[in-house]
Amino acid sequence: MGLTDNIKRALFTRGGVHPPANKLAASVKISDGPNPERVLIPLTQHVGSPCEPLVEKGEKVLVGQKIGDSEAYISAPVHASVSGEVASIAKFTHPSGRDALAVEIISDLEDTPAEGIAPAPDPLGMEPGDIRARVREGGIVGMGGAAFPTHVKLNPPSDKRIELLIVNGAECEPYLSADYRLMVERAQDVLHGARIISRAVGAERIVVAIEQTSPAAISAMRDAAGSGGEEVFTLPAVFPQGAEKTLIKTITGRDVPSGKLPMDVGALVDNVGTCAAVSELFLTGMPLVKRIVTVAGDGVTGRGNLRVKVGTLVRDVIDHCGGLEGGLGQVILGGPMTGLSQYTLDVPVTKATGGIVVLSKESIISEEPGHFTCIRCGRCVRHCPMNLMPYLLGSYSDAGMWEELESVYINDCVECGCCAYICPTKNPLVQLIKVGKEGYSRRKRKMETLKKDKEEKSLEESNA
Amino acid sequence: MANSKFMATVSPHLHEKGQTIDRAMRDVLIALTPAALWAIIVFGFNAFLVMLVSIVTAMLTEVVMRWILGRKATLKDLSAVLTGLFLAFLLPVTTPLWVVAIGSFLAVGVAKELFGGLGKNIFNPALFGRVALMISPLWIYTAKFVEPFWWRGIGFFSPIHTSINNAVSGRVIYKTFTGGVVNATTSATPLSLLKSGKMLTNTVTGPTPVGATWLTSNGRPSGWSLFLGLKSGSLGEVSVLLLLVGACYLLYRRTIDWRIPVGVLGGALFIFLITWNHPLYQMLSGGIWLGALYMATDWVSSPVSRRAKWIYAVGIGVFIGLVRLYSPWPEGVAISILIWNVLTLLLDRYVAVPKFGEVKKPLFNRLPAFPKPKPIRVEEKA
Repeated sequence: MGLTDNIKRALFTRGGVHPPANKLAASVKISDGPNPERVLIPLTQHVGSPCEPLVEKGEKVLVGQKIGDSEAYISAPVHASVSGEVASIAKFTHPSGRDALAVEIISDLEDTPAEGIAPAPDPLGMEPGDIRARVREGGIVGMGGAAFPTHVKLNPPSDKRIELLIVNGAECEPYLSADYRLMVERAQDVLHGARIISRAVGAERIVVAIEQTSPAAISAMRDAAGSGGEEVFTLPAVFPQGAEKTLIKTITGRDVPSGKLPMDVGALVDNVGTCAAVSELFLTGMPLVKRIVTVAGDGVTGRGNLRVKVGTLVRDVIDHCGGLEGGLGQVILGGPMTGLSQYTLDVPVTKATGGIVVLSKESIISEEPGHFTCIRCGRCVRHCPMNLMPYLLGSYSDAGMWEELESVYINDCVECGCCAYICPTKNPLVQLIKVGKEGYSRRKRKMETLKKDKEEKSLEESNA
Repeated sequence: MANSKFMATVSPHLHEKGQTIDRAMRDVLIALTPAALWAIIVFGFNAFLVMLVSIVTAMLTEVVMRWILGRKATLKDLSAVLTGLFLAFLLPVTTPLWVVAIGSFLAVGVAKELFGGLGKNIFNPALFGRVALMISPLWIYTAKFVEPFWWRGIGFFSPIHTSINNAVSGRVIYKTFTGGVVNATTSATPLSLLKSGKMLTNTVTGPTPVGATWLTSNGRPSGWSLFLGLKSGSLGEVSVLLLLVGACYLLYRRTIDWRIPVGVLGGALFIFLITWNHPLYQMLSGGIWLGALYMATDWVSSPVSRRAKWIYAVGIGVFIGLVRLYSPWPEGVAISILIWNVLTLLLDRYVAVPKFGEVKKPLFNRLPAFPKPKPIRVEEKA
């Protein structure tokens, strides 16, 4: 960090933080991940209703075969990523920390594809409805980390018009470089996927948004776009630039109203990984069974960007990269700012896992201990990308003042972690906010049932 | 390999390095060092004693108070040291050491620990200690200023005794090493000169500190000597230049927010300009720079949001101007900041921070007036 940068930041901070990028694996080409003997495919890999298993114990499955689906609208099917035999359908540790139903498959290591996997003849000439149906069947979800089912995003209500498709290439999380490598190596695929998506929603404009710290990706995408009409937008390097609402604000200058969706301002944001997955689905017919995962950090021997089969255990991926190094530290699925820290290596890589970051014990212990007393320095307020007051959110939540949490807009918090990152007392603000969200919604539900009961009672009384 | 030994924490798993409370306090101490050294040079060894007593008392008070209140000792975070040094900076060198100790006790013991410790105090502790002394019967001990380099001729280590009997007449007794007693009248601060109207007449006499003609004009300190720190006043406030040097370091370290000093100085300058009351002289005298750069920017007792910070800062500046011009006191920095410390509570509650995605940006918050008290549930015993 240069002197001028530091002075600028000291004077004009407007939301966001600048964690050291540590993109250790950015120069490593994408390579194939391990070929595991056993995979665990969770039936919940997305936002929405969990899938019901479609296979039984002992059944033979093939790569790309649908093994779980749900009737619900907001849901996405899951597919087998290896060919082999279903060993069990039981509860296993999920990256979220809870146990969740997963299909355990013992691989025959042959990767025989399922029948009926065929490319779409003319993806860019397809009807929007057909595109959506195919995307849904392909089990495509947002690959940036949130894992929201993509077909839902592609189906805006008829009164909402989407003008702008933003292809999100802002990989603002430290360590992660999967999206960057994807843009550098497979720019055409990303653009092809984006064109299919824009056809499905009728967006006229496609903007590829890339942070200024990735010049190679910017030039690769510019070259790929050529005269195709897609624009490449250079973003300032700040965390959380890749967050949906922040991104739309930077590109269009429009605020997505609180509680509303990007489509309310005529925009749709899709990650570059999602676009590439869509492209692959239409070009080969293979559903989403693999994803690119960055393995980095000082706690793992090797580093790289691997094409990992969904359901591969983190242990296998780390062994593939040479194993752990140093004392047992922290294993984070996703980036270190918003990722999920794991207590075991026996968790599967899901569709949402963009990275496996392993921090060694030494690097964690060198972190200064917390003071845990808010000193009201106001840094969290200054750095909050959503312009909230995190110190109030934290202290209300700590005090169990669930009702007051609404007045400080707890549900607008995106849990990006800027406040806790910047806090000089190292207050665990995100943790407090998560507890607060839980407490607030529990309280709200309780008040609603109480109100209902009261109304019913008074109705009965008036009837009697 | 034992699986259960990974550390599982809630995101974010990274924290900014080199930005902690301890580090911030240390940064402020570093920033104050030039001004402290200058105070010792200008006011002699007594200045060092005042600082030492203030800091030691502050630390002792913190330890004892936290022990009595059953809290964990937090001496390591240096906040007590800082409060002690700040209090010393606000006192003249003639203050008897026992009065310094009382002030330091009030600052840390009452304004900080009784309010709940670091982060919970409403007032800036050092200013609270200073104003408590100022409005107490002990005020007479804290109102005697001497001219810079008073120790020339009688020795750097000469002790000062502020005479109790002659306190009203304002006499300060300097003692030399050999036991000789030198009586000297106190020296007026630039601001009290202004207040008494002596600025315009040519009655002030006093030794020219260094002898350079550009340091005085008509026998009173010139703008340059005010800026460089050749004037009478409290320990820490004299050198605007050194305070600015320290503040630049703090700005670079992102410990203080530039909005507050700019607002305070701007607000005061505005008042002095519209009344045309020696604006340059006013701006360079008294504790306005110490207050604007170090006291008003105190994290705990200043507002958190940008907009509230502007209101707070300009408010302090305007109050400083009004107190200096229209009250019996020559100086109003401490009292203005304390008043706005209280108003900070309201500013933080009612001045809106327009959140992202709010279509209509409100000026004021829709926060409830104050949190509703929770009904106390009495558990029935079975």
